[in-house]
Amino acid sequence: MKDKKEDQKHKENQEYREDKKVGVYICYCGGNISDHVDVERVREYVENLPEVAVARTNMFMCSDPGQQLIMDDLKNGTVERVVVASCAPSLHETTFRSAISRAGINPYIYEHANIREQVSWVHHGDQATEKAIKLISMASAKAEQLSPLEPIRVNAKKHATVIGGGVAGLRAAKDMADCGIEVALIEKSQFLGGNLAPLDKIAPTGESAKELLSTLALQVLCHPSITIYAGSVVDSFEGYVGNFTLGVKQVEPLPSKAADSDITAEADISDIQKTNETDKYKKGDYIPFSGVFAVDDADFSNRSDSQNLSVSSNWKSHVIETGVIVIATGFKSYTPNIGEYGYKKIKEVITLPELIKSMADSLNSGRLSSQDSFTMQKGSACSGKVRGLEKFLEIDGRKIRSMAMIHCVGSRQTPGIHQENDSGQLNEYCSRTCCTATLNAANIIRERYPSTRIYDFFRDIRTYGRGQEEIYEKASHNQVIFFRFEADEPPEIIESRESQSGKNFESNSQLNNFPICVKAKDVLTFGEEIEAPVDLVVLATGIEPNDVSDLVQKMKLPVGADRFLLEVHPKLRPVELPVSGIFLAGTCQAPMDIGESCNAAGAAAVKAAAMLAKGYVELDPFVAQINLELCNGCGACVESCLSDGALRIVDIKADGELIKRAEVTPPLCLGCGACVGVCSENAIDIAGWTLRQYEAMVDRIVAENILAVIN
Amino acid sequence: MVEENIQQHKKTDELSKNLDKKADAMKALRKSCKNRIDRVAEIVREQKRALKAIRAQLANSPSTIPEIAASTDMPTDIVLWYVAAMKKYGQIAEKEKDDGYYRYSLQGESHVID
Amino acid sequence: MKSIQTTTFDVMVIGGGIAGLQTALDIACQDYSVAVVEKGASIGGKMIRLSKVFPTLDCASCITTPKMAAAAHNDNITLFTCCDVKSIKRERTLSTQNISNSISPQNNNTQRNRFVLKAVVTQRARYVDADKCIGCRKCEYECPVLVSDVEQGGFSARKAISIPFSNAIPQIAVLDADNCMLCGKCEKICPTHAINYFQESYDFVIQANSIVLATGYEMTSLSDKPQYGMGKIPNVIDALQMERLLAPHGPYNRVLRPSDGKEPDSIAYIQCAGSRDRSMGVPYCSRFCCMYAIKQAMLLSGSLPLAEIRIYYMDIRAFGKGYEQFYQNAKAMGIEFVKAKVARVDAGEDGSVTLQYEDQNGYGMVTMNHDLVVASMGVISAWSPKGICNVSQGLDNFIHTINSKLSPTLTDMEGVFVAGAAAGPKDIVDTITEAGSAAIEVSKYLRYLYGKERGLKPVSTISSLKAVA
Repeated sequence: MKDKKEDQKHKENQEYREDKKVGVYICYCGGNISDHVDVERVREYVENLPEVAVARTNMFMCSDPGQQLIMDDLKNGTVERVVVASCAPSLHETTFRSAISRAGINPYIYEHANIREQVSWVHHGDQATEKAIKLISMASAKAEQLSPLEPIRVNAKKHATVIGGGVAGLRAAKDMADCGIEVALIEKSQFLGGNLAPLDKIAPTGESAKELLSTLALQVLCHPSITIYAGSVVDSFEGYVGNFTLGVKQVEPLPSKAADSDITAEADISDIQKTNETDKYKKGDYIPFSGVFAVDDADFSNRSDSQNLSVSSNWKSHVIETGVIVIATGFKSYTPNIGEYGYKKIKEVITLPELIKSMADSLNSGRLSSQDSFTMQKGSACSGKVRGLEKFLEIDGRKIRSMAMIHCVGSRQTPGIHQENDSGQLNEYCSRTCCTATLNAANIIRERYPSTRIYDFFRDIRTYGRGQEEIYEKASHNQVIFFRFEADEPPEIIESRESQSGKNFESNSQLNNFPICVKAKDVLTFGEEIEAPVDLVVLATGIEPNDVSDLVQKMKLPVGADRFLLEVHPKLRPVELPVSGIFLAGTCQAPMDIGESCNAAGAAAVKAAAMLAKGYVELDPFVAQINLELCNGCGACVESCLSDGALRIVDIKADGELIKRAEVTPPLCLGCGACVGVCSENAIDIAGWTLRQYEAMVDRIVAENILAVIN
Repeated sequence: MVEENIQQHKKTDELSKNLDKKADAMKALRKSCKNRIDRVAEIVREQKRALKAIRAQLANSPSTIPEIAASTDMPTDIVLWYVAAMKKYGQIAEKEKDDGYYRYSLQGESHVID
Repeated sequence: MKSIQTTTFDVMVIGGGIAGLQTALDIACQDYSVAVVEKGASIGGKMIRLSKVFPTLDCASCITTPKMAAAAHNDNITLFTCCDVKSIKRERTLSTQNISNSISPQNNNTQRNRFVLKAVVTQRARYVDADKCIGCRKCEYECPVLVSDVEQGGFSARKAISIPFSNAIPQIAVLDADNCMLCGKCEKICPTHAINYFQESYDFVIQANSIVLATGYEMTSLSDKPQYGMGKIPNVIDALQMERLLAPHGPYNRVLRPSDGKEPDSIAYIQCAGSRDRSMGVPYCSRFCCMYAIKQAMLLSGSLPLAEIRIYYMDIRAFGKGYEQFYQNAKAMGIEFVKAKVARVDAGEDGSVTLQYEDQNGYGMVTMNHDLVVASMGVISAWSPKGICNVSQGLDNFIHTINSKLSPTLTDMEGVFVAGAAAGPKDIVDTITEAGSAAIEVSKYLRYLYGKERGLKPVSTISSLKAVA
């Protein structure tokens, strides 16, 4: 046995001792590196390393001329192994590997030294140069030991799973299905449409949410390649890109969203009523404020085939084998803390989604026929009176003479000013959509009910998108009165019996009749204290990601400080997650409006389609390899393995005898090296990161001459 | 062998004929673009004068933009434009800062502009 | 002379900026052939000219160059530079043999009625043989004519013949005929005899089944702004010029005042200098100026730690992922944000710039002096389809989209899509996402056109394509 080991070692030695010519390519990164690292000095040093054949520099090694340098040296045999010293490998490792491939050389004879994030961005002067030399010398020592590898090729099922049936999920599902991919769509509620459903007229075009949603949802419902799992959640997750297995479990039907947004006691009753009502819905029905009903009758199995509608709702679990996953789990509207701007303490304080729903309800209840009031007011100036008639918005039967709208509720929160939520978090981000949505609602109210006055309290008006600035202009034109406040001096909501002083916008006799007074310091008029008496306060609540901690845990997804899912890179890989084969679409990533969500969904779909186009996926070969001659089948490695199923002990036949040996399932292996550490026989190595390569790096880093040369 | 020679001869002959043709064409082209050529030539003459003056000043001593402007009697923004160009083509190098202005000096002529 | 050559692709993308490149890459991944037609001498668009990009502060080159290289090396992508699109027409296909394999016999009707998009493209003369030029820049070093370099905001010079910039793709010299005196020096020194003074522009046809407009944006000119001195006041520059001052390959390799080379002690930004302003014809918000001003301010405070930096703004619109946090960081770094609309800009003493604005604390009109003033100009459409094709524009002159919610990249001409700032101002993050969205629309459209069977590539195979190109 011992001899065998020695033999093995000897053989390896011979294999590796062939001197490989290493080329080192050092990037200036346009000053990002060279401002702090003396790149030419680094080059001079590494050029003298024994294995280095050439050392070159370039302003941008990732540029075409830079890549060409490497390719030329490889092609004419000047170098056999390549080290690039530049930014983090997450940015450009693949760039350089593909350049090596284009030169006709195996791309895995490449080693990367990060001298930007790990050096020039954190160290300065001689220290930076010294560290760059160390890192590059190590990489070069390792590179000499590299051997060509082949990527792991796994078959990929031409099947995609979309989690979330909001607008992003629907778009992604349809896009992929239209590209010839079988799609499973998992939606936890019984309705399709997500947060699009509770909307009414959408800014800036004034399109109806109902029409948009019905069109898209019906296309999805009727698509022969899309299977919908409504009222279901992901129960289990395993596998790897191209071959994921998802367990899907049906859950108790959620109350319809109309009731969901009401938190009052009355609403609880309507919850139950609504839940019962779902029995009456037919698939494809548009239910206002809930979405498009996506569940068949209980005896769906008899009906679905004949109608070519493929919905599964038999209260059971399903197993979906899928190639890629698109996460489109969306957002929920921020719920203010109790007492935040008087919310839930003062009944006249509601959120913007609540306002939109109340307005639709009051229109539908016939108290004010929408057609009539709208046509009457159309074209008339917003004087508040039309031929002696007063037109007021009514909410819950109350006439709203004037109202306040307050922006940035639950968004742009500042440490030290705003109250953290239960888990100690602040929403420091801007929710992007609320300014336009608020002003859109304000315009609708001013145009339908010109007698209702609107005071708008904002920090910055962010009507950034196409057609949105016009909404802001229109609001001014519609005589919405704007007040600007600072984060540290937000408006105060005072039940008006208490307030008497300060400038106000109604006569005192009237003031007493208003239940609420909004008090603020207006920055637009040099910090003047103002008081606005109102019947209603509307809080423009922001966007929070839906709680997907379950998926995050199961799939090991990264989450940002803002609690949204975190993409690999906002510009290089904006819809991808680090887990290969899992993509992001829509507001689970960041606040977006409908068009932006659809764009994100399209971008995710195109990446997914490209991944599945070939029928196989290639993975990096940096996985554990077992040396069967050294392995004694003890199983310690299996115990240490962090990825279920990546390592196991199998019986193999050797010299007519059955013996136990470890076996690797490469696509599941994370390449973490935990098994390498526990193997008493040194029988495991990670391809591309072998013990021998580590030794070479350590030898180099402890070599005294490095520092001697620098100093 | 002989044939090859003849072939070769024919080729050079054609080549020289072509060259003649090209020279004629070039002449014609220059004639047709005379206005433009005169305009650019005038600009280039002015540029050469300016570059020479700046180089003369820098040969004296490393100078700031206002100093070069004063000695060459040119506006500061124009001087800076030339200095930026000379720096790009490796003719001058930036030196230490003096009261908000950097000094520039001549250096190895890697890519001459003149 | 020669008959007009026709080259056939599945898709033509107009514009080689980040929107066009990302669209082309995403379409090429579906194994469709793509022509990218770029008016400039290099692909890369506006982004390659930027310094660093928000909110990650990655250098723009680090993100753009790999995408440029990836497009240049993709077998499915063919780049055409120095090209203008003259016209685009939807025409019935005359020859059907190309698609006969793909469409099943019973679909003969469809076959007869098939339309393609034909674009007449003008290849402008580079006066350099693109096949021979090796990008050695010897011609550039030899050329005696200095020309103001627009790539550097006009702050430095290039030669009358030059490689557009150091990481340009393709690395092919281009001769600026307007500033050439035909001295013949470049021709003499060129090692591959690539210079050709007699080169002429010519037209050719690109036939494609789908077109993506990724024509990007331009900025309004300072010279249109009388209150801000019509661009005549020294040291009032626009934001793209500041990008060059901050960029690694910039004209001075540091930030200096362009009037006299002084390192500025006080720098001001005027936001909405050309946007949200009906007098400029730009009533809309240009969307990314707030963020680039904040980003530039941060970079400036890094390179000039002692400088005072102020941003005069109307509303700070930091709406994207991580943008608000970026804005708050800038405030914490000591960058001063002043809510005010600057009323007037005048030349001050010794190259300084005088601003007048109304103070928000009730002090009335206030006058301030700064060493350098950056005006965040408005973003306008860079390309008009008028006279070229039947695609409509919105009132804002950007390309009109017909389903801005569910399919934001659809135009009103069949087979024609739009991506990026061509459909309204857009930052890079939103542009890249929209490019992916346009790519999936194109893929879906092509699948619909080519029939439902899988794996059909009817119009052109890559090999036949390469033969033509």
